[in-house]
Amino acid sequence: MLIRILKSSFLKRPKPVLLVLLSIVMGSAVATAFLGISGELSHKMALELRSYGANIVLEPAAGDAGALKSDDLPKIKTIFWKHNIVGFAPYLFGQVDFSSAAGRQRGVLAGTWFGRPLQVPGEPDSIQGVKVTAPWWELDGRWPETPDEAVIGAGLAKRLKLAPGSDIVATAAGKERRFRIVGVASTGGFEEEQLFAPLAEVQALLNKPGQLSRVLVSALTVPMDDFGRKDPSRMTREEYEKWYCTAYVTSVAKGVEEVMSGSRAKPIWQIASAEGALLKKLDSLMLLLTGIALFSAACAVSSSLMAAMAKRSPEIALMKTMGADRLQIAAIFLGETLVISVIGGLLGYLAGDRLAVVISRTVFDSTVTSPLWLFPTAIGAALVVALAGSAAPLKRALAIEPVRVLKG
Amino acid sequence: MAAIIETSGLTRSYGDICALKPLDLCVPEGEWLTVMGHSGSGKSTLLNLLGGLDRPSGGSIHVRGTDLATLSEDGLARFRRDCVGIIFQQHHLIPYLTALENVMMSQYFHSVPDEAEARHALERVGLGHRLKNRPGELSGGEQQRVCIARAIINSPRLLLGDEPTGNLDHKSTTMVMELLRELRDEERFSIVMVTHNQEVAAWGDRTIHMDDGCLVREERTKSC
Ligand SMILES: Nc1ncnc2c1ncn2[C@@H]1O[C@H](COP(=O)(O)OP(=O)(O)O)[C@@H](O)[C@H]1O
Ligand SMILES: [Mg+2]
Repeated sequence: MLIRILKSSFLKRPKPVLLVLLSIVMGSAVATAFLGISGELSHKMALELRSYGANIVLEPAAGDAGALKSDDLPKIKTIFWKHNIVGFAPYLFGQVDFSSAAGRQRGVLAGTWFGRPLQVPGEPDSIQGVKVTAPWWELDGRWPETPDEAVIGAGLAKRLKLAPGSDIVATAAGKERRFRIVGVASTGGFEEEQLFAPLAEVQALLNKPGQLSRVLVSALTVPMDDFGRKDPSRMTREEYEKWYCTAYVTSVAKGVEEVMSGSRAKPIWQIASAEGALLKKLDSLMLLLTGIALFSAACAVSSSLMAAMAKRSPEIALMKTMGADRLQIAAIFLGETLVISVIGGLLGYLAGDRLAVVISRTVFDSTVTSPLWLFPTAIGAALVVALAGSAAPLKRALAIEPVRVLKG
Repeated sequence: MAAIIETSGLTRSYGDICALKPLDLCVPEGEWLTVMGHSGSGKSTLLNLLGGLDRPSGGSIHVRGTDLATLSEDGLARFRRDCVGIIFQQHHLIPYLTALENVMMSQYFHSVPDEAEARHALERVGLGHRLKNRPGELSGGEQQRVCIARAIINSPRLLLGDEPTGNLDHKSTTMVMELLRELRDEERFSIVMVTHNQEVAAWGDRTIHMDDGCLVREERTKSC
């Protein structure tokens, strides 16, 4: 009977029902779309943020006395979190004497990769080096391409009066190496006082074949939370597994550390935490917007149900006269609400999914695949909207006094 | 004979307006009582109190021994569905449900809908051929007969009618009254009916006249 009442009441009042349905579809669609793209948005944002530079630094565990091995470098692309490694750059530092046409000076020579193709069996080819980890460097000139070419920091270049095209000679332990300057780098940091030359040349000059002093890694990570901040050495086995399988900056660092022998990896916290904070804010913003969308949908539902209620009050009064108690009246209204919200949630999910695809294509130029949990979320959102929206109208329905409404 | 309705000092006022002045009324089981009076004399007020649709300002009503004042709102709803059938002047059917569904709705609130029983009730009021019609497709007399079928479907002990024939022509009125008499003779329920119509009053056992909230006169109908 309840079903028959509901069916007839839907079929006979298509307009208000459609109005309510529309509000629910809109609310659930917007919620679905927002939540659907929020993952994508966070991902894109995190990628953008990677241009701030590396967020993990690897140094010899033994301190200045030790060294890392350049042979280990390709293994970085084989760790558990290999897909999250945006790029890395190895460095070997040494004190040398620089001499140019303008004079002589002691300074730091850094051997590195600029943009070196890296082939790892079973992994897609990639380019690694400073170009990838430090995209914010402003380069006057170009990146080195041959073993003879080098990039000089802007401060050092000024003092030695060097410009692209001029030559510089580095001397260490009696050995000499001449480089042609092809670019002057402005970074705003200590790099401005250094000369950057190809890693293999510097290793030969400093007599440290295959050795590294530092590796900077740029990795996509999730913001740290309370669990991520726990000390991994005190975790239970399950906790450790969960920690290891979450892309915290610390767990990615741990993974890199494990493949680079003799290394200790540390997050660069000023980068990692700023990034985490920003991503968290982005997530809360999306949630807030979703909440607002749901709230306004609930208001719309409430007002159209209120209007429908005014029209239906004789009907409700009649039911009460026949002896319907409050539970029975509520069952009819909540039954209607339930049916409308399931249909609305379904339509809203379909519409929101399309909307997410369109948004991500126009804004991010990429495709999203909506996660599975989005479907129950959409239905849930519709239910919340419908229930919140029908609370006030239901209260009014229960308060109807048949005597006043049915007065002859 | 036991009384189905017993009121003592029953009053109902709306602010300053005293719609019903202290009333002592006793209706024996099975009686057909007619209430007459001018418009605004408190007839509907009395009927609503008897049906548990309204609460008195003072005094007491007992229906079948139950003190209505002690019932909660849901308790009154249960009282209405178990003991009372109500017919109004306006037909008050649900427009989007068929005649059959309108009757079944009353069963639904009472217990469980039983289509066969509902169909039988409509056949008894002579509407066996209009089961699937919606109220808009029925004449005034037919609609009122649907209301009667709906009012008696749960076998109430008390049938209340607030000018049930007020909108009907002479022929329909006679038909409805004959039907009510027939049903009453079979089911032995009591009737309290408000009317302006002297002829309609003649169908009852006893008539009370009201004026300005007071019971002013009472007479036995000679035909019974
Ligand atoms: N809800 C109400 N609020 C205020 N006054 C009312 C209300 N219902 C009825 N009355 C007043 O009570 C008196 C009796 O009304 P009613 O019982 O409907 O009369 P009748 O049915 O005999 O025409 C009238 O004066 C009417 O104005
Ligand atoms: Mg009246």
